Amino acid sequence: MTGALSRLSTSGRFLVAPVCLTVAILAFGAAVPEFPTIANAGNVLAQMWVLTLLAVGQMFALLTRGFDISVGAVAALSSTVAALAANHWGLPALPLGALAGLVCGGLNGLMIGSLGIQPIVATLGMFVGARGLALLITDGGQVVPLSQSGIAAALAYNSLAGIPPIAWMALAVVVAAAWVLNRSVLGRRIVMLGSNPDAAWLVGIHPWRVHLAAYGLCGLFAGFAGLLITIRAGSGLPTEGTGMELQAIAAAVIGGTALTGGVGRVSGVVVGAAFIQVLFTGLNLSGISPFLAGVAVGVVIIGSGLLEYALRRFLSPLEQNRRMA
Amino acid sequence: MTMAAAGSPSIRFAYRPPASAAIAFVAFVFFAILVPRFPTLGNLENVIRVASILCIAACGQAVVLILGGIEFSFGSSVALASVVTVLTLPDTGTLGAFAVGAGVVVLVGAVNGTLIARFELPSFLVTLGTLMIGAGLASTIAGGLPIDAPASDAFSWLARGRIAGIPVPIALAVLSVAVLYFLLAHTRLGRFWYLAGANVNAARLAGINVRFVVFAGYVVAGAFCAVTALILTSRVASGQPNLAPNLPFETIAACAIGGIPLAGGQGRASQVVYGVLIIAMMNNAVVLLNFPVAYQRLMIAAVIIGSVLLQKLAGKGWQTGARSGGSS
Repeated sequence: MTGALSRLSTSGRFLVAPVCLTVAILAFGAAVPEFPTIANAGNVLAQMWVLTLLAVGQMFALLTRGFDISVGAVAALSSTVAALAANHWGLPALPLGALAGLVCGGLNGLMIGSLGIQPIVATLGMFVGARGLALLITDGGQVVPLSQSGIAAALAYNSLAGIPPIAWMALAVVVAAAWVLNRSVLGRRIVMLGSNPDAAWLVGIHPWRVHLAAYGLCGLFAGFAGLLITIRAGSGLPTEGTGMELQAIAAAVIGGTALTGGVGRVSGVVVGAAFIQVLFTGLNLSGISPFLAGVAVGVVIIGSGLLEYALRRFLSPLEQNRRMA
Repeated sequence: MTMAAAGSPSIRFAYRPPASAAIAFVAFVFFAILVPRFPTLGNLENVIRVASILCIAACGQAVVLILGGIEFSFGSSVALASVVTVLTLPDTGTLGAFAVGAGVVVLVGAVNGTLIARFELPSFLVTLGTLMIGAGLASTIAGGLPIDAPASDAFSWLARGRIAGIPVPIALAVLSVAVLYFLLAHTRLGRFWYLAGANVNAARLAGINVRFVVFAGYVVAGAFCAVTALILTSRVASGQPNLAPNLPFETIAACAIGGIPLAGGQGRASQVVYGVLIIAMMNNAVVLLNFPVAYQRLMIAAVIIGSVLLQKLAGKGWQTGARSGGSS
């Protein structure tokens, strides 16, 4: 049934991010002398992970045909909770921040899955609510400095085989996400619910449980992003992450995740996030307005949609011929 | 006011107010009892003045939601319009600058409409893209900083002036709602929006030029948003590259609270009004109560979720019976 051609049209979407990343690296490499240095490559590899974690989480929500606009606010809340917990109980309590993210995501999942509220309304509520909560526990948005910031700085800025330890940890979490998506029953259920909700229902999958898990994972990854923010900044930042939700969706979409659900790869999302990071870094180094990065990201988003339209246009007649033959 | 747009294009009801009307009424009584300064004439005018700016853009969002789409680009097209308006002001005069600013927003709507209608791209993707492009352009043009406009009475009239004693934003909001009501309930185009939003294939099979109908919807949405953009620009009297980043979310929330389902094919002008009023009353009340910002945010979150949930429960009785299959 699924011939080489239809496989090409589905895998074509995953080519957008690598091509864009390559073009961006080559262009900046040729135009900006500071860009193609090992130090700068290490910079990009150290900085891209907050966006990557948010985008990987976002992918799980997108896979179920939904999306989550609360990830930036949830990351800020997690960052704050992590810093407060670490100051109260010592540095090993830092991961409690990720737990806060998981709870927020789980609440989103419950609202969407079992109460049937549309994702935009539910996560909009969380977007406003998580910000409010972050302000509430910090006396109106005060930064929470870590008392043991030395260890955090070592984690964030020492070099372990070229990139900081914290980046390795983020990479490990991302690999775990790929494992969940591709190798676990849960991951397959998320994909199934996204590609055909009715079929998923008929084979006995409880949609609300899958929604709970998908948005829970999204919140958990926003929580990890919050931890990363705290460790890198050496403090909890309750007002961080504004605008990150849309960048995360952009990275996921450029990375080939379908808004119609059921199609997505972790590797694609990572490359999508890397592309956005390269754009920001490159434009900053080149001295051109860094705001143009937004324009480039927007053009790539719409361009990837147009590419898909073109592929569909040109491949579908061929597909039909195959079926008839 | 009774604005009886039938909830579904084929079935006519005797006028029945949407569930959000009841919520708005209860909220009004509740705040009036709880907050002594709330039901004074001056404060209520203030509430409606704030509501009116959101209301006009929400009218545009409602058209897009009825089409089954979603519009994010409001967030940056407003900012782009404000920057462009202030930059062209010295050359073109107030009226010309307003025309150019409004043109920018309508143009963004037309670009969205073309990409969505002609190339059948998802509205989510397209408007997210144009949101980012617009924000980038606005910041690049302005250099990341606000540009002050030379102070003039003509320029600030849109936000601060009065027509026959009524503040201009309120008058424009009433006009916008009337236009939306007329379009939705009394024009062929409006009825086609419902049909295209409820079932694109059926609309196409019925011989409707779906491409034009959808395109027109996004242009009209842009036109509504343009009015909001001009009022906001006039109010801040400067070109702000970061003018109203949350406008898309606020307008979507207003429509959702008003009871317009995001699945498309349904919604009426009165629901926009109730949704906007609920948000504005609540914002005003929490400020009057002098709660810390943190509690304000938490209350707003609770109201967004709560009122949508309430309507889901209340609407099970009669709303669902009115349409055939409904949302997935």
